[in-house]
Amino acid sequence: MPGTLLEVSDLRIHFPTGDGLVKAVDGVSFSLDRGRTLGIVGESGSGKSVTSLGIMGLHQGSSAQISGHIRLDGEELVGAPPARVRELRGSKMAMIFQDPLSALHPYYTVGAQVAEAYLVHNHVGKKAARKHAIDLLGRVGIPQPATRVDDYPHQFSGGMRQRAMIAMALSCDPELLIADEPTTALDVTVQAQILDLIWDLQVEYHSAVIIITHDLGVVAELADDILVMYAGRMAEYGSAEDIFDQPGHPYTWGLLGSMPRIDEARLERLIPIKGTPPSLINVPPGCPFHPRCRYAGMTDGRSQTEIPALHEVEPGHLVACHLTADQRRTMRAAQVLEEAEAPAVRMTQGDV
Amino acid sequence: MLLPGRNPGRAAAPGIVITFIIRRLVATVFLLIVVSMITFAIFFLIPRLAGQNSYELATQYVGRNPTRAAVLATETKLGLDKPIYVQYGTFLKAIVFGTHYNSGTSTTYCTPPCFGYSFRSQQPVWPQMVSDIPVTLSLAVGAAVLWLVGGVAIGVLSALRRGTFFDRFSMGVALLGVSLPIFFTGLILLELFSYKWPIFPNVTFVPITQNPLLWARNLVLPWICLAFLYAALYARLTRAGMLETMSEDYIRTARAKGLRERKVIFKHGLRAALTPIVTIFGMDLGLLLGGAILTEVTFSLHGLGLFTVEAVQNQDLPEILGVTMLAAFFIVIANMVVDILYAVVDPRVRA
Amino acid sequence: MRRPRTIGLAALGMAAALALAACGGSSGGGGSSSSSSAGFNAAVTSVVNPSSHKGGTLTFGDSSTPDSTDPGNTYYAFMWNLTRLYTMPLMTYKSCPGKCGLQVVPDLATGPGVVTDNGLTWTYHIQPNIKFEDGTTVTSADVKYAVERTFDRAKLPLGPNYFSLLLAPQKPAYPGPFTDRSKNLMGLKAVTTPNATTVVFQLAHPFADFNYVVAIPQTAPVPPNKDTGTNYQLHPMSTGPYKFSSYQLNKQLTMVPNTFWKASTDPNAKQLASKVTVTWNMNANDIDNRLLAGDLDVDAAGTGVQAAARAKILSSPTLKASSDNPISGFLWFTYINTKVAPLNNVDCRIAVEYAANKTNYQTAYGGPVAGGQIASTVAPPNVIGQKAFDLYEATSKPNGDLAKAKAALKACGKPNGFSTGMAYRSDRPKEVATAQALQASLAQVGIKLSLHGYPSGTYFSNFAGVPNYVHSHNLGLDIGGWAPDWPDGYGFFDFIAAGNTISPAGNTNIEELNDPVVNNLLNKMATTTDATTRNSYTAQIDMQIMKDAAILPGVYAKSLLYRSPNLTNVYVQPYYGMYNYAVLGLK
Repeated sequence: MPGTLLEVSDLRIHFPTGDGLVKAVDGVSFSLDRGRTLGIVGESGSGKSVTSLGIMGLHQGSSAQISGHIRLDGEELVGAPPARVRELRGSKMAMIFQDPLSALHPYYTVGAQVAEAYLVHNHVGKKAARKHAIDLLGRVGIPQPATRVDDYPHQFSGGMRQRAMIAMALSCDPELLIADEPTTALDVTVQAQILDLIWDLQVEYHSAVIIITHDLGVVAELADDILVMYAGRMAEYGSAEDIFDQPGHPYTWGLLGSMPRIDEARLERLIPIKGTPPSLINVPPGCPFHPRCRYAGMTDGRSQTEIPALHEVEPGHLVACHLTADQRRTMRAAQVLEEAEAPAVRMTQGDV
Repeated sequence: MLLPGRNPGRAAAPGIVITFIIRRLVATVFLLIVVSMITFAIFFLIPRLAGQNSYELATQYVGRNPTRAAVLATETKLGLDKPIYVQYGTFLKAIVFGTHYNSGTSTTYCTPPCFGYSFRSQQPVWPQMVSDIPVTLSLAVGAAVLWLVGGVAIGVLSALRRGTFFDRFSMGVALLGVSLPIFFTGLILLELFSYKWPIFPNVTFVPITQNPLLWARNLVLPWICLAFLYAALYARLTRAGMLETMSEDYIRTARAKGLRERKVIFKHGLRAALTPIVTIFGMDLGLLLGGAILTEVTFSLHGLGLFTVEAVQNQDLPEILGVTMLAAFFIVIANMVVDILYAVVDPRVRA
Repeated sequence: MRRPRTIGLAALGMAAALALAACGGSSGGGGSSSSSSAGFNAAVTSVVNPSSHKGGTLTFGDSSTPDSTDPGNTYYAFMWNLTRLYTMPLMTYKSCPGKCGLQVVPDLATGPGVVTDNGLTWTYHIQPNIKFEDGTTVTSADVKYAVERTFDRAKLPLGPNYFSLLLAPQKPAYPGPFTDRSKNLMGLKAVTTPNATTVVFQLAHPFADFNYVVAIPQTAPVPPNKDTGTNYQLHPMSTGPYKFSSYQLNKQLTMVPNTFWKASTDPNAKQLASKVTVTWNMNANDIDNRLLAGDLDVDAAGTGVQAAARAKILSSPTLKASSDNPISGFLWFTYINTKVAPLNNVDCRIAVEYAANKTNYQTAYGGPVAGGQIASTVAPPNVIGQKAFDLYEATSKPNGDLAKAKAALKACGKPNGFSTGMAYRSDRPKEVATAQALQASLAQVGIKLSLHGYPSGTYFSNFAGVPNYVHSHNLGLDIGGWAPDWPDGYGFFDFIAAGNTISPAGNTNIEELNDPVVNNLLNKMATTTDATTRNSYTAQIDMQIMKDAAILPGVYAKSLLYRSPNLTNVYVQPYYGMYNYAVLGLK
C-alpha cells in the first residue's frame, strides 16, 4: 500500500541460551503508515524492545534467530545484507532509547555525537555537520544551542538529554522513528514536554513513529494505533480509540485498570494484575496469559491448551482471546464497575 | 582529583592547567621531603634499634682494614658522628644550595641538586644517576610501547572473540605471563637467544645516539622480558574493560546511528575502555622509570635499578637517598600526568 | 684476601639456572672450537696457548663494583692483579706458572731492596726511563708520593696500611699529603729521594718481608701534580701496558694501549690486546653464561664460576677440558681459643683436632672442586716454604679418629667431653653448614657445641674479634678464613698466630696464641734477610701451631675457573689464585 512505510509480519525472534530457547518475540505482525504513530505496550519481558531492535537490525552479531518479514518501504530487512541494514540505520530509521545518560557516550560532546549521526550517512564537512547539529538542537528545544553544542551529556538535565537524543535520531530525516520508553527515565513534567516534542516533530517531518512503553498513559496521547504485547505475542491490536473504548483482552483491561487516571473525580483503587510475567523459555501452554487471567476458567479449558488466534472483533481491531464477544462485554462491564466501587485508596508506588 | 573550572567541561583553559601543575609540584616537593626523611630514618634508626652506634656504622665504609684511626676519620668525613637531624640538615642544604667537596688536591663545587657523595667511591651521586637514566628510560619506554600496543591489541581481540579458542589461548598465555617471575623469563630468553643461539649475543647497553640499530637490537630481549609481564596484565585488563564497555548503552546507540562496527569498537568502545588502562599505564611507567630492578639485574643493564641494588648492598646512604628520591619523583610526576590525562580523557571528571 | 660478593638476586635465579643447566647439559661452549682446550688444570702448571699475536678486545666482567681503581686505595686480590695492566709497582710477582710465580721480582725497581743499617734501611733504584702515559719520566718522588697517599686514612681508607705501620714514625704523625698540601706534600720523613732514581725507606723495626710490602700496588708511582685525590680512581696515570681511555664509574672501564710503555722495561706484563674493557656490576650467572658462550673473556673476580655453571662444566668433558681448579690461596679453618676453659689445656684442643670430621668440613664448603682440598697444615701449598705434614690424620683419616680423640680427652681430664660455644658468620651458608657439621662430629665424643651466628660485617670488630667477648661468651671455637697479603710464612702467620698481634678489637689472632716458640720464629723471619733461612721457618711455625692445636685447618680453598678458548698466555698465577691478567692476549 502506498502510505505503508513499515510492514511486519509473523516476526519471530528467538535466542538460544544455555537454559533453553528464549522466544522473545513469537509471531508479531503490524503495519505502520507514514505520519502515524504506533504504540507498543506491554510489561517488561513482553518482547516490545526486542521487536524494535529487530526492526533496526540491532540483533546483528548476537545469537538471535530471526524469521518472518520486516519490510521497510517495501524493502525486506530480514535476511538482508548487514551492510545494507546498517546504511538504513540512522538514515531511514532511527531510534531513541530509554536512559539518555547511559545511551549517550560520556566522552564526546553532544554536538559531536549529533554531528556524527549526520556524518555517517552524508558526505559533508565537519563544519557543516556541526551547523546542522546546532540547528537540530535548537529545533528540539534546547536553549542556546550554539553554546550547548560543546557540552557533554553529563552537563545536560535529563529532559535536555532526551531532546538531544531526539535531535541525534532526527539528524538524517528518518522516515521511521522508534522511541523505546522515551520518557520512563524522566520527571513527569518533562515527560509531557518530550511527548509534545515528538508529536510536533512527527507533524513536521511526516515520519512514522513507534512508541514503546509500559505506560498506557503515554500512548493515550500520541498513538494512532496500539499493539499490546504479552509474552512475546500479540494480545490486542487496534486503533487507539478502539483499545481505550472497547478493550478486548483481559490483559488490556488489567493495564487500564491499573492505570492511575488523573481525569477521574475521585481516586479509584488501582487493581494490579496478579502474578508475574511468564518465562519466555517455558511459555505456558495455550494462552500465555491464562495463569494470571481472572477469566481463564470460562473458556472450557481452551485457555490452558489452545493458543488463541487473533480474531477481528471489529474492523481493524484484533484480539487474541478465547472469550466470546458476549463474555467479553459482560466481564468488561463488571470489571469497570468493580473499579468504580472500590474504596478510595491512596495511590502508592507499589500499586502500579 | 578535579580540575577547577569556571567552564567545566570545556577543554580546560591553559591557566587552569598551569595552576594545577604548580599546586601539584609544590605538593611534590613536600612529598619528596617526607620520602627523604623516611629513608633517613630507616637507614639510621633501624641499626640503632639493633644497638649499633655510629662507629660501628662507619666501619662498613673503611674496606677490609678497619683500623681505629681510619674508622674515626671516616666517621668524621661522612658526618656519621653528628646527630641525625644535623646530618639531614646537611643533606637538604646540599640539595638546595649545593656543597663543596675537597678531593684532597682540589675543591670542587657540587651544583644543586647535589645528592652528596657516595660513601664508598667519594664520587658525586647525581651524575652517576643521570648517566643511568638513559638505560632505564630506554628499557622502560621501549617495553611500555610493546606492552601497551601488544597487550591492548590482544585484549581487544579477545574481548571481541570472547569464548573462542583465540580468547582462551591468549588469556592462558596472559596468565602465564603474569605468573612467571621476570628473572625466570629473562633467563630463558638469554639461554635460548643469547647463549645457545647467538641471535642477540652480548646484551649491553649502547646509547641510541651512538648506534640506534645496535641500541634496539641489544634491548630486544629485555624489552620482551619486561613487556611480557605487563602485556599479560594489560591484555586481561583491556579484555575486561572492553567486555564491560561493549555492553554499555551508548554502544547500542552508536550502532543505531548506523556506524560501521569498526568505528563502534574503537571510537566508542575502546575509547571508553582505555581510560582506566591509561591511568594504570602512567603509574606503571612511573614506577619503572625509577628502575626496572629485576630486568636490569638479569640482563646486567646499568640502569637505576642496578644502581639501587648496588647502593643498598653497599649501604651507601647518599646513593640510596638519591635513587629513592629520584624514583619517588618519577612516580609523583607520573601520578600528576595521569591525573591530567584522566581529566583530558574523561570529561565527567572535570566538573 | 677479600672475596667479591655475588649479587644476592642472582641466587634467586639460580634455581632456574640450575634447571636450565640440567637441560643444557653438554652444549659445547661457544666461541672457537675445542682444538685449543689443553685439558683440565692445564693452566695451573703451564702456559696455555702461548702466543705473541696482537689485536682484539680483551673483555673482563665482574659481578660487583670495585672498591677502587686507584692503585693506592684497593685491597682485593683481583684488583691487585688487574692494576698490573696500568701500573708498575716497585716489585711484583713473577709472571710464570706454578711455584715460579710466587717469587717477588723487581718491576719498576732495578733490583730488590738493598738492606742496610741492620735491616732498618731499604734502598731501591728505579729504572731511569719509565714513562707515564703522557710521556713524563717517572722519578723517585713519584714513588714517594704514592706511599705518602696511603697515610691519609680519611681520603683513601680502603687499601692496606702497612707503610704507616712499618715506616719510622715522625712527630706529629704524618697526616698524608692532602691536609695542608703546602706543608705535607713530600713531607713524609721516613722516605727519602736522594736522586731521581733512588728511593730510601726507613723502617721502625727490621722487617725482612719489605720486598713483599712494596709489591703491593700502593708503590705504583703517582705524579703529585696529576693526583686528584679521591678522583684519581677515575683516571690514574698509567705506567703499565694500558691506560684508561674512559671510565664510567662502577659501570664500564675501557683501556687502550699505553704508547709510552716498553716491553723491555716490563717483562712481567704484555701489551697484546688492542683494547681492554671491564664491565662491572654484571649478573654473576650472566658472566658465567657469557664466558661459556664465548661472549666474555675473563671473569675478573677470579674466584670461580657459580654453582649452575659449575654443574655444566663438570658434566661436560669438552667444557671441563677448558677449566682449571687451582688453589686460590685461602685457608678455611676454625680457631681453637687457647684461653677459654677447658680448651686452655692442649689435650682438650687435640681432642677437637682428632674428633672433627674433615670430610664434612670440605663438603660444607662445597666439596673437593668448589670447596677445596682437605687441609692438614695451617699454610696452604702456595705459601713459600710450606711443607705438607699431618699431625692429626686429617688426610689419612678424614672422617676423624674418635679413639684418639677420646684418649686426648682423658689426658685433659674430661673423659666424657665438655661444652663450649662456637662462633660463625650467620650470613655465610658455608659457615653455617660447617658449624653444624662440627657440632655433629664433635658430639660423638661428648664435646657439645652451642652455635652462635654473627653478621660478617661486625664479626671481627664486635664479636669473635674481641677477646673479652670471646671469653665472656665462652666461644672456644671460632670460624675463620685467611689469605695472606703476601705468600710467605710471615705474611701468612703473623696476623693469625703472633702473640703481639692479639688486639682488643678486630683481633685476627683469635686463638690468642702466645707461644714463645712461634713468636721467636716470627721475629727471626722478620729480621733474617737470607731467603732460604727465612723460608725454612715457615714449616717450623706451622708445625708448632699444629702441635699447640691452636688452629683446626679445614680446607685449602679451591675454585673452578673457566678458561676461555679465546685467550692466549693463560696460566694461574699462584699468588692471586687466578689467571695472570697482565699477560693475557687474544687469538
